[in-house]
Amino acid sequence: MKKYNNLKLVLAGLILITAACKTEIDVPAASKGSADFSKYIAVGNSLTAGYADNGLYLEGQLNSYPSIIAKQMKSVGGGDFKQPLFTEAQSDGSGYLKFAGFNADGTPNIVPVKDKLAVRGEYDAGAFGKVTLYTKFAGDNNNFGVPGIKLQQITFAPYGNLNGYFERLLPGNAGTNNTTYLDFVTAKPFTFFTSWLGNNDALGYATSGGVGDVLTPKDQFLGLYNALIAKLTANGAKGAIATIPDVSSIPFLTTVTVKALLDGAKKLNPAFQAVYIQTAAGNRIATDEDLITLSFNSTGLFGKPNGSMQYYGLHPSNPIQSQYVLDKTEVATARDYVNSYNATIKSIATAKKLAIFDAYSFLNTLNVKHVSENGQPYTGVFINGINVSSSFITGNAFSLDGVHLTPKGYAIVANEFIKAINAQYGSTIPQANLSDYRSVKFP
Amino acid sequence: MIRKILLGACLAMPATILAQGFQVNLQGQKQIGMAGTGVGTVMDGASIFFNPGAVSMLKENQVNLGVSPLFFKSAFLQSGSSTVENNKDEIAPPFEAYAVWGPKSGRYKLGIGAYTPFGGLVNWGDEWSGKYSLISLSLKAIYIQPTVSVKITDNIGLGAGFVYNHGEVNLQKAVAITQGNGQDSRATLKGTGEGYGWNAGIYFKTLSGVSIGVTHRSKVVTKLNDGDAIFDFPASIPAASLPTKFTSQLPLPATTSLGFGFYPSAKTTIAFDASWVHWSVYKELAFDYNVNTTVPDTKSPRNYGDGASLKLGINQQQTEKLALRAGIGYAFTPVKDGYVTPEAPDANRFILSAGLGYDISKKFVIDLSFLYEAVKEREQTNLESNLSGTFKTHVYIPGIGVSYKF
Repeated sequence: MKKYNNLKLVLAGLILITAACKTEIDVPAASKGSADFSKYIAVGNSLTAGYADNGLYLEGQLNSYPSIIAKQMKSVGGGDFKQPLFTEAQSDGSGYLKFAGFNADGTPNIVPVKDKLAVRGEYDAGAFGKVTLYTKFAGDNNNFGVPGIKLQQITFAPYGNLNGYFERLLPGNAGTNNTTYLDFVTAKPFTFFTSWLGNNDALGYATSGGVGDVLTPKDQFLGLYNALIAKLTANGAKGAIATIPDVSSIPFLTTVTVKALLDGAKKLNPAFQAVYIQTAAGNRIATDEDLITLSFNSTGLFGKPNGSMQYYGLHPSNPIQSQYVLDKTEVATARDYVNSYNATIKSIATAKKLAIFDAYSFLNTLNVKHVSENGQPYTGVFINGINVSSSFITGNAFSLDGVHLTPKGYAIVANEFIKAINAQYGSTIPQANLSDYRSVKFP
Repeated sequence: MIRKILLGACLAMPATILAQGFQVNLQGQKQIGMAGTGVGTVMDGASIFFNPGAVSMLKENQVNLGVSPLFFKSAFLQSGSSTVENNKDEIAPPFEAYAVWGPKSGRYKLGIGAYTPFGGLVNWGDEWSGKYSLISLSLKAIYIQPTVSVKITDNIGLGAGFVYNHGEVNLQKAVAITQGNGQDSRATLKGTGEGYGWNAGIYFKTLSGVSIGVTHRSKVVTKLNDGDAIFDFPASIPAASLPTKFTSQLPLPATTSLGFGFYPSAKTTIAFDASWVHWSVYKELAFDYNVNTTVPDTKSPRNYGDGASLKLGINQQQTEKLALRAGIGYAFTPVKDGYVTPEAPDANRFILSAGLGYDISKKFVIDLSFLYEAVKEREQTNLESNLSGTFKTHVYIPGIGVSYKF
C-alpha cells in the first residue's frame, strides 16, 4: 500500500498548490513620465475644494477630486497632499443639505445639516454685503480650491476680505487682507498643478436666471487666463487644466422642466394651458427651451394665487419671475460665453503643452438620452457598470445642489484628469476605483 | 512547445468558431484524466453522458461516483488601474454518478446518470471595481438522465436518454444607490428551475479496430419561475415598489460531438474528441420582475457565438492494476468581443490533464484526475456596462472517483 500513500500525498500536494496560487496579470510599470508629481497643488473654485450638497464640509473635502488625484499619484512619485480640512468637531463646515427621503407627492425632501458648523462670525463688507467667516486654517496646504471664486477675481487684492472661504486660508482677518489669490497660491514652490477656474464666471449668471450676476467679459477672461497660466508655469511646473461645463446641462437647470410644472398644474385644474415666465422682453408663454432653476422648486410659489386670483406662473400677469428662469435667449448668451471661455482655455493650455480635461464635452455626455442594444432607454453613460447621468439624485454624479458633484462624481472627474495627464506626460498614474466612492445618500 | 503547436493548429481553424462559457467538462474521472475525451471510447458508466450508444458495449454492470472540486481563479485588471483584483476562493463541486445494468451477455443495457454539465461559481466580493456588474454568481445545472442502450450488432451500439435538468441560480450585484451607512444597495436573484432534453449517440467499432462515436445532447431551456428577487435598498424607497419575484430562462446549449478511439496496443487507448457547442442560442439574459414601479425588467445582451473544443487523451494500462492517463485540449470561446462579463470571464482556453486508475480489487476501482485549464488573458470593454479591463483565469480541478463493478 506504499504506492497508495504516495498517491494521497500527490493529491494533497496538488490541492494545496492550487488553493494557494493566485492568477496574476502584468501591471504596467509605474512611471511619472515627463512630469514631477512630488509637489502638487490644486487651483480652482468650489469643485476643487470638494464642495457638495450646497456646502463645504469635511466629507466633501475628503473626497475632493484633487485629493483623489493625489492619492493615485503616490505610486508614481506623488508627495504629501494637505487640504484645509475642517476639524471633526466642526465637520459640517458651512452647513450642507441632506436627502431625507421622499415626500408624499414623490418629490425629494431635502433638509439642511448645521450641527457642527465652522462659522466664526460675520464681516460687513459694505457695498459687497455681509461675509460669513469660517474657522481659520493655518497648516501646510496643497488644495487652494475657494468656493465662489471667479477667474475675474484672481488678481483682485481685496478679495481676501470678501470671500469667507479665501479669508479662512489667509493669515489676516477680513478687512486687513490684500494678497491676490494668484499670488497666494503660487507663493510656495510646486512641481505640478491642476487648475479648474472660470466656472463661476458663467455659473452665477446661469443660476440666478441671468439677472443676479454678470458674465465676465470675454477679453477680460482671455487676459486673466493668460496671466494665470503664465504664473503657474513660470517656474517650469507642468499641469492639467479643465474646461468649463455647459451651465445649461447641469441638474440645477434641467430638473424642474416647464412640462413637469404644467403637468402638475393640469392635474389640479385641466383648464391651465401654459406656464408663463418673465423675461427681459416681457412676459410670455414658456417653452421647453426655457430652463427653470432647481431653487424655484423650494420657493413654493408655483400656483399660488395673488390678490386678483391670478395663479403664480400660470397667468400672463403673474409669471415665474426672471431670477428663477434662464430663458432661451439667456441660455444662448451663457453658451456663447462658455464656448468663448473654453476656446481661450484650450488654446492657452495647448500652447503651454498642458494636459486638458475637456469637462465641457464630458459632462455634456451625461445629459444625452440613449436606447440600449436591447431597446432599454437610459440617459448618460455607463462607467464600469454604473449609469452616470445628470439626473438629479439618481444620476450618481451630481450632489443635492444640482451643481456640485458627489464623491463618485469627483472620483470620475479625478479619473478624467488622470487620463489627460497620462496622455500628455506619458505617466501611468493609476485610476481610482469608483466603487470606493458614494453617490447621493438615501436614508 | 506543445502550446505553440496547438496554437498553430488553432490558427488553421475557421476564425468564426469561437467553446466554453458555463460548460463544465467534468463527467467522468477516467475521462477527465484524458482531457475530457470519451465519445469514441468505452471506459465506464460515464458513457451514459459521453455516448449513450457506447453503454451497451460495457462488459460489466457498474456504479461510478466521482467529485471534482473546482478552483476557479480569475483575475481582473481594470483599464487604467494598477490593482489586480482576484475572485474569492470558493470551491465548486461538480459531481457525477452513474449506474449501468443489463443482463450478462445481453444486447441491451439500462443506465441512469446524474451529472453537472453546466455551472459556475464566481464571487468577486462587494468591493471590487466591477461590483455593479456582478458580486457573485452561483449557477448549477444537474442533469438526471435515464438511458437505454442497445447493441445492434457486436460492433454497433445505439443509445438514448431523456434529460431532466434541475437548475439553481444565485446572482448578486451591487446597485449604485448609496444607503444611509454609505454602503451600496444590493440585488440578489435566486431561484430554481427545470428543463428537459435528450442525449443520444451511436458507437461503432470499425474493422480496422478504430472505434467511432457520434453524439448529440440537445439544448435544455431551463425556466426559472417564481424566483426570489431580494432588493436590499434604502428604507426611503418603499418596499412595495420593489420586485419580490422574477422569472427568467437560460438556454443551455446543445453539443454535437465526434470521437475516435485508437488502440495501438492492447494496453494503450488514444482518444480524440471534437465537440461543437451550440452556444449561439444564448442571446440575452433577461429578468422579468413582478413589480416594475422602481426596477424595470432587464435584458442584457449576450449574443454568444458557437463554441468548440478539440481534445486528445491517452490511457496506458501500466500494470495489471494501474492505469496512467494524460491529455491535452483546446477550447474556443463562444463569448464574442464586447460581451465578456465577470460571471463568465471567458476566452479561448488550453487544457492539460493527468490521471490514474487503480484497481483495489476486481470490483473496486479508484480513479484520480487532475485537470488544468489556462483561460487566455483577454482585454475587453463590455458593450453594455462599459466595464473595461483584462480578465485572466486559471482553473485547477483535482478529482476523485470510485467505481464498483458487479
